[in-house]
Amino acid sequence: MKGAQLLVKALEQQGVDYVFGYPGGAIMPVYDALIDSPIRHILARHEQGAVLAADGYARVTGRPGVCMATSGPGATNLVTGIANAYMDSVPVVAITGQVPTAVMGTDAFQEVDIFGVTMPIVKHSFIVRRVEDIPRVLSEAFHIATDGRPGPVLVDLPKDVANTEAKMAPVFGMKARQAPTADPEQLRIARGLIEAADRPVLYGGGGIVIANAVDAFREYARASRIPVVTTLKGLGAVPTRDENFMGMLGMHGNRAANRAVQESDLLICVGARFDDRATGRLDGFAPRARVIHMDIDPSEIGKLRHADAALLGDLAVSLAAMPTELYVDNWRVWCAERRREHAWRYDAPGEDIYVPDLLRKVSEAAPDMVIACDVGQHQMWVAQHCHFNRPQQHLTSAGLGTMGYGIPAGIGAQLARPEARVLTVTGDGSIMMNLQELQTIRRYELPLKILLVDNASLGMVRQWQELFHSERYSEVDLSDNPDFVEVAKSFGIPAFRITRRAEVDGAIQRLLETEGPVLAHVCIDPKTNVWPLVPPGQTNDTMMEELSA
Amino acid sequence: MNHTLNLTIEKVEGAIIRTLGLIERRGFSVTSIDARANEGDQEMELVIQFTGTGRPAEVLARQIDKLFDVKSVHLVPTKAPAVAPAESMAC
Repeated sequence: MKGAQLLVKALEQQGVDYVFGYPGGAIMPVYDALIDSPIRHILARHEQGAVLAADGYARVTGRPGVCMATSGPGATNLVTGIANAYMDSVPVVAITGQVPTAVMGTDAFQEVDIFGVTMPIVKHSFIVRRVEDIPRVLSEAFHIATDGRPGPVLVDLPKDVANTEAKMAPVFGMKARQAPTADPEQLRIARGLIEAADRPVLYGGGGIVIANAVDAFREYARASRIPVVTTLKGLGAVPTRDENFMGMLGMHGNRAANRAVQESDLLICVGARFDDRATGRLDGFAPRARVIHMDIDPSEIGKLRHADAALLGDLAVSLAAMPTELYVDNWRVWCAERRREHAWRYDAPGEDIYVPDLLRKVSEAAPDMVIACDVGQHQMWVAQHCHFNRPQQHLTSAGLGTMGYGIPAGIGAQLARPEARVLTVTGDGSIMMNLQELQTIRRYELPLKILLVDNASLGMVRQWQELFHSERYSEVDLSDNPDFVEVAKSFGIPAFRITRRAEVDGAIQRLLETEGPVLAHVCIDPKTNVWPLVPPGQTNDTMMEELSA
Repeated sequence: MNHTLNLTIEKVEGAIIRTLGLIERRGFSVTSIDARANEGDQEMELVIQFTGTGRPAEVLARQIDKLFDVKSVHLVPTKAPAVAPAESMAC
């Protein structure tokens, strides 16, 4: 058996059903071996599309997404997607072909040191120099990608190693390791902090779903009735309609959520990392609060905010050990009042399409839908106005902010859950970053729905130039965009356009009821902004609201 | 402030650069390195001195400890506590 076959067998033994990739010279032995494998290869039309689809697949299934590319440009095209997975703690195994070991280091054709290039953005990486190492390396790669805090692992496979005959075949099983449980003394301190708190807030992040702790988090929130805020990745940790849910915190968070955090005297951080988009100016974030930090990753403790109690280990176990009898009714009442006071309003004047209302209606029309988001203003509107019953419904490039994520992630999600309704919400800037993946939708006849919000500009950057650069607009006008309806149709995807508010209800129905893929092109006023907004460098006390109604 | 780390790492491809790169990437500056392979050539012992800008060196030590090629990390305690800088928004 050749090394390439050994690698494919190892993937099969790991239970891999899909590999997203693009062939090329150095990875040809692996593509040859794939022909004889039950693994289904999904041909993206750009390696970035492949790795981002693997990311979307991984977020929906909780299993590692696998992608594959050739050496040189194939490998470098994976870099953005690997970084995306690293920033959002997504288990991705990226396999790259490499030039033969004899010419590595000679600037051979299509040679790039992808092992070196990706070192800061992988959880771990390997160069496989001996064919007998393939089973061990693959076993370790899958283990590392999923163990503890997940992340991407790169396996670089030189072509000669892939072509070498191996004598042995056994593949190691996955090492199963129990998540550690928090230190009893820290648990005792945390319990004391909660019992002493007058204004506690649960601050939930993406770690909750990664740790399979959604049920435990909900149970603790329900039993303790502590008000809940979440990060962008934490949305859905409690249903967004839950009476304890204050909203997303941070730069484009709900004012009620930010006010609760700023007023709190105890922040119970569950699987979040004090990211700057969530905290605003750090030294003014929750200034009177003590902090309980629950995480699986020891290097997050004290990285940006001192933890008065650090509960390292399984989130579900830590949450179950926290007290639920709290005498904080005044605080609960205050939070409920803020929640009412700052509830989103959808009565925008005018006849233009109001995207927040459109998105709210879409998610209400299909409550179980998976929404894969691109990056920009529409991403924030989705986070603010769509309803999520569980975190796996919301795929978003949170840490890296990768424009071009939405369509590939939607593809990965749709393949992972063929029976589910999957919607990609994208913008006219973002869609152009991975437009070629419309062909992947067509090729595999995926029923992915696409909602393209078009403001003929790079909206978020335009908004910042308006607000923080004295309306000096620099390279944000995209009014020369192609006709997106014609573009979609040329890829064989039905498409239609709306421009007025009166068309919204019909468009939602058409979007959701069309069999197969469909693209709705929604044209909006280029001057529309996302509110509220915490200006960069300010604390979350400073929330700008719409300047003119 | 000067800090000293004693590390044992596996002698595998990329382990040294991975460790040193992490130290610099997290905002610290290496001032001295002593590295030697052990007798079996399986591991390396590193003594790294570095300076920081006020970020906690304990967090850096935990970040290094997460690397899969790193077998052990010991941060030599210093007397003066780290003073956290005024962090600002990324952009």
